[in-house]
Amino acid sequence: MKKWLTVVLAVMLLLSACSSGGGNKQDSSSGGGNGGGDNSGSASGGKEAAEITIWAWDPNFNIKALNIAKERYNKINPDVKINIVENAQADIIQKLNTGLGSGTTTGLPNIVLIEDYRAQSFLKAFPDMFYELTDTFNAADFAEYKVGPTSVDGRNYGLPFDSGVTGLFVRTDYLAEAGYSPDDLQALTWNEFIEIGKNVKEATGKDMLSLDPNDLGIIRVMIQTAGKWYLDENGEKPFLAGNEALKEAFQLYKEMMEADIVKPNADWSQFVAAFNSGDVASVPTGNWINASIKAESSQAGKWAVVPIPRLAGQPGSVNASNLGGSSWYVLNVPGKEAAADFLAKTFGSDVEFYQELVTEIGAIGTYIPASTGEAYSAADPFYNGQKTIADFAKWTEDIPRVNFGAHTYVIEDILVVEMQNYLNGKPLDDALNDAQKQAEAQVR
Amino acid sequence: MYLFLGVTAFVSIFPFLWMVVSSTNPSVGVTKGRLMPGTHLFVNLSNLVEQIDLVRALANSLVIALITTGLALLIGSLAGYGFEIYRSRAKDAVFNILLLSMMIPFAALMVPLYRMFAWLSGKMPVIGIDTKAAVILPTMATAFLIFFFRQNTKMFEREMIEAGRIDGLGELGIFLRIYVPTMRTTYAAAAIITFMSSWNNYMWPLVVLQSDAKKTIPLLISNLGSSYSPDYGMIMTAIVIATLPTALVFFLMQKHFVAGMLGSVK
Repeated sequence: MKKWLTVVLAVMLLLSACSSGGGNKQDSSSGGGNGGGDNSGSASGGKEAAEITIWAWDPNFNIKALNIAKERYNKINPDVKINIVENAQADIIQKLNTGLGSGTTTGLPNIVLIEDYRAQSFLKAFPDMFYELTDTFNAADFAEYKVGPTSVDGRNYGLPFDSGVTGLFVRTDYLAEAGYSPDDLQALTWNEFIEIGKNVKEATGKDMLSLDPNDLGIIRVMIQTAGKWYLDENGEKPFLAGNEALKEAFQLYKEMMEADIVKPNADWSQFVAAFNSGDVASVPTGNWINASIKAESSQAGKWAVVPIPRLAGQPGSVNASNLGGSSWYVLNVPGKEAAADFLAKTFGSDVEFYQELVTEIGAIGTYIPASTGEAYSAADPFYNGQKTIADFAKWTEDIPRVNFGAHTYVIEDILVVEMQNYLNGKPLDDALNDAQKQAEAQVR
Repeated sequence: MYLFLGVTAFVSIFPFLWMVVSSTNPSVGVTKGRLMPGTHLFVNLSNLVEQIDLVRALANSLVIALITTGLALLIGSLAGYGFEIYRSRAKDAVFNILLLSMMIPFAALMVPLYRMFAWLSGKMPVIGIDTKAAVILPTMATAFLIFFFRQNTKMFEREMIEAGRIDGLGELGIFLRIYVPTMRTTYAAAAIITFMSSWNNYMWPLVVLQSDAKKTIPLLISNLGSSYSPDYGMIMTAIVIATLPTALVFFLMQKHFVAGMLGSVK
């Protein structure tokens, strides 16, 4: 029986070795295969150039933005047929990995939306598959912090889209009960934020904020205010041990937990529920949460947005940070020139287009010239007439530039575990040193 | 005893109940955990119809699931029958290798499969990337189904084959006229299993289907959930609609299904 099993395993091994060998052979001949693909591409070249396909997620945000862009672009260039295909973000990652990983260009889109935290991992893993956009738009027109994640070695591959600029969304009615007005909150430190949280809890019984223990978004927000990240400036080596900003962020996180001002949540729907049902007094997060806050229309007039707090112990820390955000990438497949032209004439230069984005969907871009437009200075009645878009645009320009590197989420998975160890009493330096070792072992 | 059963039943049914109730509530109601049926069902429905092409996705899913089920039953039962009835020296070795293939995770096959279909796209676009055929082909023959039919064929009386041969039936005639009618319950159970797995299949259709017009129901539901501010009421409505066909198939064939599963355990 054992002998038989050995034979089967040996056969399996042999088979898999054969198949990988075959795969390699196919790889080397895939020049021919791809050539064939290219030929068929150029045979129908005229048609290919006139049709571009775009993948993005969220029908109410990115897809709507694309539809507006398509409409405007087709007025200048009606010959190009633009196919907008909606896929969930996780699905796009899956499809891109499979498509790019299989080494063929069949089935890939011309333009794809990628989250900034993940962009470098794609750009570095598949360097030949992305089309360089350096000469198609002026990178200096965009918020500086967006240029890092979208470029490699000084060459731009992504055209920056939405701003992940953060703000502190606060319930003015709860704060008033504790004796604060939005004016008192304009340049907070996180320590002051915790103090206010304690007072609010005492006065109203409400928690200050809601956090998901498996998502360290707030840590990312905190360290970016000081221009620091999980990785060093080159985005290559993990920078956890000896990262003073990260250390302070961990201490603040623990302080919040111990002050009992945090309402824990397990997923996105609970997070949204926490502020929709009025259980928390503030939401420190990206501007994109705006739509979810406004979804509870009975709370109109009870909210304000103030700058995100900064780290008191870090000399360079500012009251501006970022969470999330994504950018457009052109794949190196037939039709790339048309795709680049579409991006350049809409997202890359059209000030009027950005006004429409703000009024139609509340999407704030990172294109600096757009902030002078009138839509940006409109007052929002939901926030008691505050000019929220103008505020966000102003803070966007102050966001410190960091290099997200290719491994943000890998390292975050390690930090989630070490954070729990730290909360349970492990010394902070040990926790970060251990995280550093694990990260160095995984990120190579 | 009844208390325990009752609690267990409640725990298994509750998510289903919550899904149905949530489909009648607005999004904010769902996130707040409202458990009372609401009046928002038709609003959710009209939002849903406005946002996605529900009918087309249902039709895509149905066509793929029906064709897959038909082909899978044919291939699986022929193979299972052959493995059990006919004698051959290599039979057991081949069967064991087949069973071992059940252990290879699909994730490992995905990139090679994608390459194959990308290559096919150049030669025969009708079965290449972004076609229904590309979804059906890799899923229509499964080791599990062959195994399932072989196990059940063990209960099939050999004397009937002998009787058929004596009466002058060919081998195919024996299979079609004697085996298929007697194994109805096995076919029913296999049909339910295949239909459900095809209907709910997510990963491969996701990778291979590219255009909106080809998408199946699970892919569209995945899209609905990826928004920065998801409308949970609408998503629940979509899930209820997506669940109905499998529930319907199950209830229609429930009796056969139970009989078929019992047979396979014997």
